[in-house]
Amino acid sequence: MTNKTVLEIAGLHKRFGDFTALHSLDLKVRDGEFLAIVGPSGSGKTTLIRLFVGMDEPTDGTIWLRGKRIDMVPANKRPTCMVFQSLALFPHMTVGRNIEFPLKIQGVGKDQRHARALELLDLLRLPRAYYNRRVHQCSGGERQRIALARALAFDPDILFFDEPLSALDYRLRKTLEKELKDLHVRTGKTFVYITHSLEEAMAMSDRIAIMRAGRFEQVAPADEIYNRPISRFVAEFMGEVNLFSVRADEGGGVLAEGMDLTPDVGPRLGLAAAETGTLMVRPENVWFVGAGNGRGGDMMARGHLRGELNLGSRFQYEVESETGQRLTVETSREGRHDGPLGEPVTLAWSLDRCHLIQGE
Amino acid sequence: MHPSALSRAGFLGYGLLILAFLYLPLVAVGFASISKARYLTFPIRRYDTGWYAEAVASDTVQTLLILSLKVAGLVTVISMVVGFFGALAFARYHWRFRGLFQKLILLPIFFPQAVLGLALLMWFNALGVVPSWHTAVVAHLVWISPIATLIIAIRAYSFDPTLEEAARDMGCSTIQILRDITIPLLMPGVISAGLFAFLLSWGNFPLSLFTTGADSTLPEWLYAKMVSGYSPLVPTVGILTVLASVALVAVGLLVPAVLRRWRGGGAG
Amino acid sequence: MDRLNSRLGALAATPMLVLLGLTFLVPMLVVAAFSVMPPKVFDLWHWPDVSAYGEILRQGYWKSLAWSLGMALASTAILFVICWPLAYAMAKVYRRFTLVLTIGVVMTLFVSENIRLFGWVLTLMKGGLIEGYVRHWTGIGFDGLLYNVPVIIFGLVYVYLPFMLFPLAQGIAMVPDDARQAAADLGATRKRILWEIDLPLAAPGIVVGCLLTFVLAAGAIAESKLLGGQAVIVIADEVETAFTYGQNWPLGSALAMVLIAIVGAIAVVGVTRVDLDALMGRRR
Repeated sequence: MTNKTVLEIAGLHKRFGDFTALHSLDLKVRDGEFLAIVGPSGSGKTTLIRLFVGMDEPTDGTIWLRGKRIDMVPANKRPTCMVFQSLALFPHMTVGRNIEFPLKIQGVGKDQRHARALELLDLLRLPRAYYNRRVHQCSGGERQRIALARALAFDPDILFFDEPLSALDYRLRKTLEKELKDLHVRTGKTFVYITHSLEEAMAMSDRIAIMRAGRFEQVAPADEIYNRPISRFVAEFMGEVNLFSVRADEGGGVLAEGMDLTPDVGPRLGLAAAETGTLMVRPENVWFVGAGNGRGGDMMARGHLRGELNLGSRFQYEVESETGQRLTVETSREGRHDGPLGEPVTLAWSLDRCHLIQGE
Repeated sequence: MHPSALSRAGFLGYGLLILAFLYLPLVAVGFASISKARYLTFPIRRYDTGWYAEAVASDTVQTLLILSLKVAGLVTVISMVVGFFGALAFARYHWRFRGLFQKLILLPIFFPQAVLGLALLMWFNALGVVPSWHTAVVAHLVWISPIATLIIAIRAYSFDPTLEEAARDMGCSTIQILRDITIPLLMPGVISAGLFAFLLSWGNFPLSLFTTGADSTLPEWLYAKMVSGYSPLVPTVGILTVLASVALVAVGLLVPAVLRRWRGGGAG
Repeated sequence: MDRLNSRLGALAATPMLVLLGLTFLVPMLVVAAFSVMPPKVFDLWHWPDVSAYGEILRQGYWKSLAWSLGMALASTAILFVICWPLAYAMAKVYRRFTLVLTIGVVMTLFVSENIRLFGWVLTLMKGGLIEGYVRHWTGIGFDGLLYNVPVIIFGLVYVYLPFMLFPLAQGIAMVPDDARQAAADLGATRKRILWEIDLPLAAPGIVVGCLLTFVLAAGAIAESKLLGGQAVIVIADEVETAFTYGQNWPLGSALAMVLIAIVGAIAVVGVTRVDLDALMGRRR
């Protein structure tokens, strides 16, 4: 990955009648990166990708690809290519003819096309014998690879993905995630991947762009998004999270209801006097106080145990604090909390594992 | 990929042009029906609705009307029943000879109707049956009941077979399933098939031509008058049959809408 | 459930099979039997004799057959070109107008075809809607536009338009949008998409539409009689004449058999190649 920009959008706006799907978006995609665009359904991510590949025209704004304006260029003239959610493999063609399709359109000779198709079958680890197969004879994972091979045959500047893995079962999805990441490294191409699954985005991408109601909420590397979300929305969207409203008083102390705080919390959080914010702590950073492993932390909360959930490799607990807030705690299997539902518990966490979301 | 406003307008214009092409001859017949002159020429100089009064009063027209209604009514009822079961065999049940059955259903639709009529005439002759409007009903059925089957089959295809399986699972017998699940769900298809059957029979001419014997349906009479001995009643009666079809289609389209609203109002 | 399905299927098919057996298959056999009877007999109790077929060859009936097939071919080709854009628009462009158009076109099917053709006679004849008004406004009269081969083809195009339009629209509706979009994304032009995606994927609809139009037009009779006058005699007309004026059932049957054989062969070959379930909207 270099720092060169391959795709840039500025003020990209899309309206459908009265409904504004995209609000003046700006974004730079770096050459060779794996960028995931994540958002709940209806956040505008599919609209955005359709503008990228030219299936829709923006109401306003520009798209540059390697410095050339492409927003009014029709789909078939753009050097971009998309892997569809449905894959859109042509049902009346064999696997080989599907892969060769873009080459045929480009006027590549028959022998060369055939050779390239076989290369791509190898690259995607599909048997060469699949060349003459019908698409409907292939399994879900195989179709996925065929669609990828077809897109790669096109040799696009950027490869777009519209949730291609969403219809597959868990195991197959995990395998293909790994393969896709590997393929990204091997081909060195720029991948822009749309998904509503944070897990998928975290697993594969270099950077993540979180979308909400037609706007980018945060664009940052995966770790940063997870540990330092810019808003409550991002924090909640990125998995289980505990959020507390906090307020700094005149003297620099921090007030948070139902919590015991060590005296130096205020300065360490960096919250100015009379400011409010949201304090975030992930469930895996919270522990139970008492009974063996029970050291105290910078922050503590008392409550009652309300639920236990076995997640396989971990355990998740629900605790109702004295002020009625629901808190989530996650422990490893070894660190499992032993106790009946309803018993009083004390939770603790350390301040350097907290993140302050300002303003909200 | 979305068509632009311009091409959308172009397509709309083209659609309207085709509709105009389809209806232009009926407009000509309409004008002819209100021309006063006995021998028609355009432009029409004097308009008069006298031919309508004459047509309505005419005994011949009344006899033809009743006969055509009888034929179409019988064809409708039989097509609906046969077509309902035919559609189940066509689309719903996966049985051994389904593919063959589907092709057999299509064959009569593909056949020249005049030839079908003649073949039936010879067959009735061999059986010693004297052709009359009864035999015309049979002739219409050969062509119309497969069409009714196809119309109901379209509905049967979109029908979720697990509904029947669920009912069977809850202890329903085949007859109960038919009565409580299959028939109600396919009913819209059966009704549109009935409408089609009636209207196709009402307007059919080539099948009636050889199979009505001494009887005559409205389209047959019109044809006879067209090829020999033009009568100014031809456009008038023609327009009346068209209006009858339009009225029936309007009822067919409106009644379900009204029923839905009424039922919706009742439930809410 | 398989055995139950199979039993219910056969049971449900029975009424239709009985009906078509007695009113379609058996009459066809009767026609076949009559076609090998000696001339001018009205029952089947004679020694078989192929003289009727010999008569067909000698009397130049092949000309009528050629006219029928030629005009059917021409009208099918014209209809395909006319209907494709409209069917495409019905499946992919129009929204509510599809319903309007469908009702509008289906309505015409319910009007007896001879009334509609009579309307064209009134429109095209000398002193008709077109010539009459042209003469009225410009003072220049001309002969009517009727009684020639092109007007018969015109009539066939007119009458059989719905039989091309609806199967085509159904076929085009089967082309998945994302396949067209993917092709465009991979660089295919509009023409290329039409050629590589639309036409092959809409093939079942195209096959059914073309077959239906061709077969019906080949057996048509009213268009040539009402619009064409005596310009050409079509094969179905010859069949009718042999039965009525000629009073020669074996000859009429033999002529009908020739028509049936051609039409039947085309229909059977075409229909067996089409996945009817998919065309009629089976759930996947």
